[in-house]
Amino acid sequence: MAITEIGVQDRKMNLDRKDLIQKFAALAGLVLLVIAFALTSTAFLTMSNGVTIALQTTSIAFLGFGATCVIITGGIDLSVGSVLALAGVVAGMVAKEGIPVPIAMAVGVIAGGVCGLINGLIITRMRLPPFIATLGMMMVARGVALQITGARPVSGLGESFGVLGNGSLLRVVEEGANGFPKVVFPGIPYPVIVMVVLAIVIAILLLKTTFGRHLYAIGSNEEAARLSGVNVARTKIGAYVLAGLLAGLCGCVLMSRLVTAQPNEGVAYELDAIASAVIGGTSLVGGVGTISGTVIGAFIIGILRNGLNMNGVSSFIQMITIGLVIIVTVWIDQMRNRK
Amino acid sequence: MLTNQVRPVPDTGATVMTRAADDRPILTATGITKRFPGVLALDNVHLELRRGEVHALCGENGAGKSTLMKIITGLYQTDEGEVVFKGEKRHFQSIQEAQAVGITMIHQELNLVPHLTVAENIYLAREPRKGLFINNRKMEADAQVYLDRLKVNIKASDPVLSLTVARQQMVEIAKALSLNAEVLIMDEPTSSLTESEIDRLFEIIQELKAQGVGIIYISHRLDELRRIVDRVTVMRDGRYVSTRDLAAITVDDIVAAMVGRALEDKFPERTSTPTAEEIFAVHGLSRDKVFENIGFTLRRGEILGFAGLMGAGRTEVARAIFGADPKTRGTVTLAGRALDIRSPIDAINAGIAYLSEDRKLNGLAVRMSVKDNITMANMAAVTDRFGFINDAAERKAAQRYVGLLNIKTPSLTQIVRNLSGGNQQKVVIGKWLFRDSRVLFFDEPTRGIDVGAKFAIYQLLDKLARDGVGVILITSELPEILGMTDRVVVFHEGEVTGILETRQTSQEEIMQYASGVKHMSC
Repeated sequence: MAITEIGVQDRKMNLDRKDLIQKFAALAGLVLLVIAFALTSTAFLTMSNGVTIALQTTSIAFLGFGATCVIITGGIDLSVGSVLALAGVVAGMVAKEGIPVPIAMAVGVIAGGVCGLINGLIITRMRLPPFIATLGMMMVARGVALQITGARPVSGLGESFGVLGNGSLLRVVEEGANGFPKVVFPGIPYPVIVMVVLAIVIAILLLKTTFGRHLYAIGSNEEAARLSGVNVARTKIGAYVLAGLLAGLCGCVLMSRLVTAQPNEGVAYELDAIASAVIGGTSLVGGVGTISGTVIGAFIIGILRNGLNMNGVSSFIQMITIGLVIIVTVWIDQMRNRK
Repeated sequence: MLTNQVRPVPDTGATVMTRAADDRPILTATGITKRFPGVLALDNVHLELRRGEVHALCGENGAGKSTLMKIITGLYQTDEGEVVFKGEKRHFQSIQEAQAVGITMIHQELNLVPHLTVAENIYLAREPRKGLFINNRKMEADAQVYLDRLKVNIKASDPVLSLTVARQQMVEIAKALSLNAEVLIMDEPTSSLTESEIDRLFEIIQELKAQGVGIIYISHRLDELRRIVDRVTVMRDGRYVSTRDLAAITVDDIVAAMVGRALEDKFPERTSTPTAEEIFAVHGLSRDKVFENIGFTLRRGEILGFAGLMGAGRTEVARAIFGADPKTRGTVTLAGRALDIRSPIDAINAGIAYLSEDRKLNGLAVRMSVKDNITMANMAAVTDRFGFINDAAERKAAQRYVGLLNIKTPSLTQIVRNLSGGNQQKVVIGKWLFRDSRVLFFDEPTRGIDVGAKFAIYQLLDKLARDGVGVILITSELPEILGMTDRVVVFHEGEVTGILETRQTSQEEIMQYASGVKHMSC
């Protein structure tokens, strides 16, 4: 028996080490990317580019947080790219009616949540696989967004509609010697602040609340969770509603940046979201995943795009690169899960 | 604990080792030893099969029968010992290798692809081809030859899902024939067959025997053996016990060899005694086509056993009471209060817990930690009023049950998958104790765990009963029923056929009720 226990302990240390390696592999990859791009492009490691990267990463991160919660349950949400378009369009149309922008955006976010609720109900009540349910929603939401706008962008939304996407905190501007304004500090864009707050809130939700624990339990063993008294249907619906709300918020932020509501916005964004979660160590089998990992994953994608752009690499090569990164990171993840 | 165990000596004196010139073995396995992490699954096991022989392999669940078969068929590799097939030493690395030389196994759960045809199943992964394409005509014609040899009225072009289980089994046998099997292993082949289907199966076995095929026949239905079996090898706790000519022994001899003589040492002394106080009762519980009119009561301090053959409905009844499966009608009463249970949540809130028979499938979140599993059914006790988990409270609770149940784990955050079977089972038990359950259903709690850990689980059952918790033990191992319970509810095909005082009954009597020979209403 003693031998057994030592064996178990041994294996445990091994696993922990592998866990750490995986976690650090993603982070180290991120750092390496930064170093590599800093060496190849002088404009890369500047304050303003840093802000740009952060801003570009926000939409991946918003959707990635939702994807993480859904994938932890062993599900998938393919609809978020379309849902963000619908939510943004709804917010734009409501704002166009003269309703104050904050309320209009809240309506947009709620529209996203309703899409998530419908996803959750289809999955738990009609018992369809999440892949099918959200594939259907992906088409329906996009179709609705195009139908209600007549496939035309909703523009002329007024300056206030652009504040969330374009404003920033602590922006410092001086009047230069030549009379033109000079940006001393670009400020922290509001979307970045929202991202940080959301990352913290959702991380706490996952680690510190019963809801979060139940997400992991369902993904780890749904039947065991059910037999332990976990309300599986309600918890799953919660995950899809959360993903929908985040998609809605993402849509509002994106449309706000353009100050136009575009029904064609966000195509294939769900794949970036899933990729960021998966690169960050979330397992598609369910039961495993963290927000910190997804943040790293989102930044790896964001920095890759930005850095390759700055080095004049074509968008096609960018796609190839990101595709390879996904394959390699998930391969590493698989190796970790095999004994 | 283990060292105190009295190991019964194999009665080798009576072992039949005669080797006439004409019945030289086709397959011998000698000194087979197989270790899994923390468990010695097989310890120096022997088996000898002759041409044209039907050789029964008997033993309780966990005796090591299936591990031995997996080694013979190449699914596992042995650590020590050797397998000799037709005079040649063999180390099969895969099932395909064993099949290629003529060793085939028909599993209890048939391995057929339902949406393909009979012929496609028989030739799966070795389809005859004409150029690039599958030669369907040849495949169906060839398959038909083997089906006709079995004199079964099955068309090779029929889809498998249109066949009854018995006919699917015939397809498996035809497949074995097409592989030129000289050794055929059948695992519980009669478990889902009707009487007339069994008769047909036995005729076919006789024919195969006449053709010189050696058959290893694994069955719990000892009464059937007499009809076809020549010799019997008995295994117990991963060890070889004996090999005997069936003609020379009785069924009781086999049972005695299977159970061993050290039965009393396997179980701790019972310290709880049943009182007259009835704490839990079930009346008229039914679920259409699954079980009918189930009723029993449980008294304080009592351990109640559920006995019966596979598929008798014991697990289904427990799951229905727990709300995991639907029920059509019936009442459940706990401490005099009628309960309306519609989901596991209702049952758990009422104080009923069910420890499922398959830990990994239904009981544990194996990729989560010991701590997370223990608190899973009672999160409310470790969260504050805002819904946040109180880490300190959670660790304290988990630590308490790790200590109380003596769970061997390096830490509370250890992933449950890395624990041994016995410790995993204790984690599940800890989960339900933390929930303050008042009635606990233990479904096969000792399956797949080693002897020492079993003893600890038995002690725990006794302690729970002593503390006034209602304990219901569902088990296929009759010695467990006899060693641990006060009364036993016997199930047969979805009905309760008898409720017996354990002290006044025997394995034989329980088996008579379980097989439907005896019925309390008769």
